[in-house]
Amino acid sequence: MVLIAMLFFLSVYGAFLGPKRAKEFFNSVPLAVYWLAFIILLILGIGLFRRLLRVPALLLIHAGCIFVLAGALWSSVRGHELQQKLLGIDKIPSGFMQIYEGHSDNRVILEDEQIRELPFSIGLKDFQIEHYKPEYLYIQSRQGDYWKCPVEIGAEYFLSSEYGTIKILKVFENFKIQIDGENRVAIDDPGPGSNPALEVQINSPDGQAATRYVFERFPGQMHADDELFLSYQRVISEYISELRVIRDGKVVAEKDIQVNHPLHYGGYHFYQQDYDHQTGRYTILEVTSDSGLTSVYVGYLMLCIGLCWHFWINKLSRKRERTAKE
Amino acid sequence: MEIKYTIQGLLIYITIIVYLLALLASIFRLKKSGQVLYLLGFIAAVISFGYRWYHVRHVPMQNLFEVFLCLGMIYPVSLFCRYVLRIGGQTADMLIGAVVLAPAGVIFSANPLKLPPALQSWLFVPHVTVYVLSYIFMAKAAFHAALQLIGKNTGPGDNLLSPEEATYRLICVGFPLLTLGLVLGSVWGKRAWGDYWGWDPKELWSLASWLVYVGYLHFRYMFGKKHPRINSIWAIAGIIIIVVTLLWVNLSRFFPGLHSYGATM
Repeated sequence: MVLIAMLFFLSVYGAFLGPKRAKEFFNSVPLAVYWLAFIILLILGIGLFRRLLRVPALLLIHAGCIFVLAGALWSSVRGHELQQKLLGIDKIPSGFMQIYEGHSDNRVILEDEQIRELPFSIGLKDFQIEHYKPEYLYIQSRQGDYWKCPVEIGAEYFLSSEYGTIKILKVFENFKIQIDGENRVAIDDPGPGSNPALEVQINSPDGQAATRYVFERFPGQMHADDELFLSYQRVISEYISELRVIRDGKVVAEKDIQVNHPLHYGGYHFYQQDYDHQTGRYTILEVTSDSGLTSVYVGYLMLCIGLCWHFWINKLSRKRERTAKE
Repeated sequence: MEIKYTIQGLLIYITIIVYLLALLASIFRLKKSGQVLYLLGFIAAVISFGYRWYHVRHVPMQNLFEVFLCLGMIYPVSLFCRYVLRIGGQTADMLIGAVVLAPAGVIFSANPLKLPPALQSWLFVPHVTVYVLSYIFMAKAAFHAALQLIGKNTGPGDNLLSPEEATYRLICVGFPLLTLGLVLGSVWGKRAWGDYWGWDPKELWSLASWLVYVGYLHFRYMFGKKHPRINSIWAIAGIIIIVVTLLWVNLSRFFPGLHSYGATM
């Protein structure tokens, strides 16, 4: 009970620290001693309290907690240091990789900015960002009127008798200005880079037409005499990194990873973590070792089965027995 | 404060009114009318939830507005408690239904949002569902604990459990759900963010609330019904920590973290 109370207060304290400092706090040496003490007392508890051995569901619950804590210790930074000392297993606990399209790399940047190397390389064939459809053009007048128009080339939307209509002329993935003699021409550059934009035509009720460019990256741009504020917003639905694992010059595995769909290879998980926000030419992967994970998952399974068995099945069957007797 | 002049808002307000009418009918001992109104309130809550689902095109459990809409569908839990667990408190459930829908009706923004990549997982629905269910059971447990503290008991002819026993039984049902929510969240965190435990404030408060109930169950096992007031205070402390986990962590600037998308005001 004392250890449970302690963990409660530590959790509340940790919540105020923020994730980064809380992680350091809970992985510090005094806390490592606390975790070890927790595991030892759980084992002793199972030995001392006979009921825990006699009731399989209770045994599962408490043994499950031991598995979870042991797995967590094994997967921690200190656990990895211990693995190296005791078993000679040299694994990187966690870090990041930055890989450019068409390139491969095996260097992992650790939290303390040290660089370590994996025994294989990860290549990035392509990186893509997918957006929800339809995309929208948002229009707001100085008076606070508001319109939301789906982006569809050629579509013309009536705003009001005061503002007229707006027509979507072009959609650019990578807007650039090309100087052609004295003319400046807006083009969609197929080369590297990303500058999403719209070309729209505002047709005022008096018959005047004005062309405007709306940039996703630069919201809030408007001419001083414009009556309408335009913004182009897209919502990301998925980030996709097409990865391949290269060992001894051969491709040994391939996977398109997304958030929630990591790559597992060689004792590591590779996650879609971030990307090049300016040009979309590189991806940032999070690399984590899978040490201790099986123990944690087995512990979770034991804990859940034990709890359902003890609190639901046992209690219900007892209730049925009681009802039958009545 | 945001009064919603929309179909969604209208559905929420109708549900709240019907739940409150059911409550009044029950208070004035119009049992049958109360039951019918409670069922009608539940149907309105389901329509409201379904409308939101149709509107946002994904299971509406993304933010506090949607979670509170879901919490408003308390009726099946009431029936389960009454007929399977032999636990009363339906009148209180009508009030709980109205109270949880109030923030959805007037506080939280109903602005529809697309699911960010991290939430596009098969674990999204089970994780939130088991938590919502466990919170309802724990809220009911706290209500019965409060009844025990003020000395109220169930009617002699109702064949229902005493408040102390009802609290214990409700926690016995809710605790595995609370654990399952924590475990599913952890497994999901591993798949989405690379770590099954990120020391995020929401995770730590969830662990704290779980530990309160771990403490309750150990204390109840050790002392049984010898200290019913302590048992009840423990159950009430549990729901207070749950409220902190559900609301304060998402809404306060004290706790920036991975679960920030849950807050949309």
